[in-house]
Amino acid sequence: MTTAPSLRQSPGMDGPPEPELVRIRDVVYRNAGIFYPDNKLQLLQDRCGRRMKERGIPSLREYSHCLMVRPGCHAELVALLNEITIGETCFFRNQPQLDALLRVVIPHIVQAKSHLAIRRLRIWSAGCSTGEEPYTLRMMMLEDAALKDWSIEVLATDLNERSLAHAQEGLYSKYSTRNLTPFYRSKYFVQQGDKLRLNAQARSHVSFSRLNLSDDSRMTFMKSMDVIFCCNVLIYFDLASKQRVIQHFHHNLLPHGHLFLGHSESLFGVNEDFRLVHLPGTTSYLKAERAPLGGKLL
Amino acid sequence: MTSASATRPVLLDRVDGLRHIPTIPAILAPLLRYLQRPIEDLEVQKVTDLLSQDKSLAAQCLQMANSPLFGRSKTVESLRAAVVSLGFRQVGDIAMSCGVLNLYPRDQSGLDPVVFWEHSLGCALVCRHLADKIKFGDPGKAYLAGLLHDLGIVVNLWVFPQEFRVAWELGKAEGLPLHEAEQRCMGFTHSDSGRLLAERWELSPELIEVVSHHHCPEKSVENGGLVALVQLADLLCRMSGLNYGYVEEREVNLIEESGFALLAQHSATLKDFDWARLTFELDSYMDAVHSLVRTIYRL
Repeated sequence: MTTAPSLRQSPGMDGPPEPELVRIRDVVYRNAGIFYPDNKLQLLQDRCGRRMKERGIPSLREYSHCLMVRPGCHAELVALLNEITIGETCFFRNQPQLDALLRVVIPHIVQAKSHLAIRRLRIWSAGCSTGEEPYTLRMMMLEDAALKDWSIEVLATDLNERSLAHAQEGLYSKYSTRNLTPFYRSKYFVQQGDKLRLNAQARSHVSFSRLNLSDDSRMTFMKSMDVIFCCNVLIYFDLASKQRVIQHFHHNLLPHGHLFLGHSESLFGVNEDFRLVHLPGTTSYLKAERAPLGGKLL
Repeated sequence: MTSASATRPVLLDRVDGLRHIPTIPAILAPLLRYLQRPIEDLEVQKVTDLLSQDKSLAAQCLQMANSPLFGRSKTVESLRAAVVSLGFRQVGDIAMSCGVLNLYPRDQSGLDPVVFWEHSLGCALVCRHLADKIKFGDPGKAYLAGLLHDLGIVVNLWVFPQEFRVAWELGKAEGLPLHEAEQRCMGFTHSDSGRLLAERWELSPELIEVVSHHHCPEKSVENGGLVALVQLADLLCRMSGLNYGYVEEREVNLIEESGFALLAQHSATLKDFDWARLTFELDSYMDAVHSLVRTIYRL
């Protein structure tokens, strides 16, 4: 296995990063497409630490062996990914991504569709978990003056029925509402005990349904999307399944459509039909109509 | 607003203003010349002596040598130790970076000097990394090109402070690339003014091309690859938060930039390069760039 040299040594840690940790970082990136830059390696180390404690593994070296060599290494990788994504969901989770959607992507879409008689915007939250992401998107669209006369649909799907039931109930804890500004809190939520309940306006035009992203026949029906959010879901898929899902996303999107992935999540080596685009402070994948130079995904 | 009052002829008329721009510290030229010798001819003591002649520069170099951006594994407490632990090439990069940091007028309104040099240093580091990863020429040369690419902004700040401020404010208000805002307000860009200073300083022909054409690498005559490398690194920095103090509200597709095709002619590995990973890595070293530049500015 080769380990790519990084831009620099780890600034958040004392001295250069531990080689075993860098190796684990590379395994996670290669298999799940999620990257831990040097200043976030401490987080990865903490996540590994939890797994090591759970399994009684004394050293990072031995744990890296568990992830790469020993029987059951795939199951351990999934367990580590569960640690990595635990507690990730909350309202307004990735602000640079949401800002870029609002300031750059939506204006492009509005312009691209301006000649159409029906002004409709469809956003799909694929792997919506307990609903924070689709509701965030819905509230933002309600506040966007450029979309005043538009019909907005937010489609939210997940495999887990309990998560979907939670989402449909619309009742959220302090933890998942920690990023809400006073404006959104007062306009779209009502206090219920120590929790917050979403009001009817925020819940309107958000539809939830159970969907397995590997279900090819149902995936073909998710048509005419302008934007797809699929954050920290594909990391659990093997390469072939991931490629199939991404190919579906490509068909599901309209020509100007964008695919947003989780923070530090990449499609490198997975698909050649999407192009990586840089937006202010974030990236997305744009549905490419023409073959890119060299025929490769950036 | 004084927009468009200054045009290219004005720029040329005011070229004498370049006299007011401080030059790179006097010791840098002999140091950099010395470092160009074959490595077997170089002496640690000689490099240390040359650097020590300028106390302020020496202190900044030591601070920089201890930054994680330059790969230190333990703290170095003397210039000599820095030269030994980092090697001659990195010390040359550091000395040049510190020298260039001192060119900027400190009491500016508008574009914050700290923010500007964070962009320059960030671009230098990305150029070096990218050159190394795609096996494009000498990473040290790429570093210097990234460091100096915006020399024209130094010129604009010294010679056209009012006009440049209007341009920067327009860029900020409308989320425009700075060179577009300069063109609108001043009738020329920092590429034009930078070229004048680069020529006056007798920088190498390749650096003159980088300074002059990093927003349109296709105009380069002989060094298209290097200029293209700087264009892409510059764009990445500007979109990733190492910008000019404001967000450019646009979408950048690197493979559609003229520099991509140009650089691809010089690097067979470019088409397989993982830009997403580089972007995530850039995110990680932004904190280190911020803290280093702020520390050096206090020295």
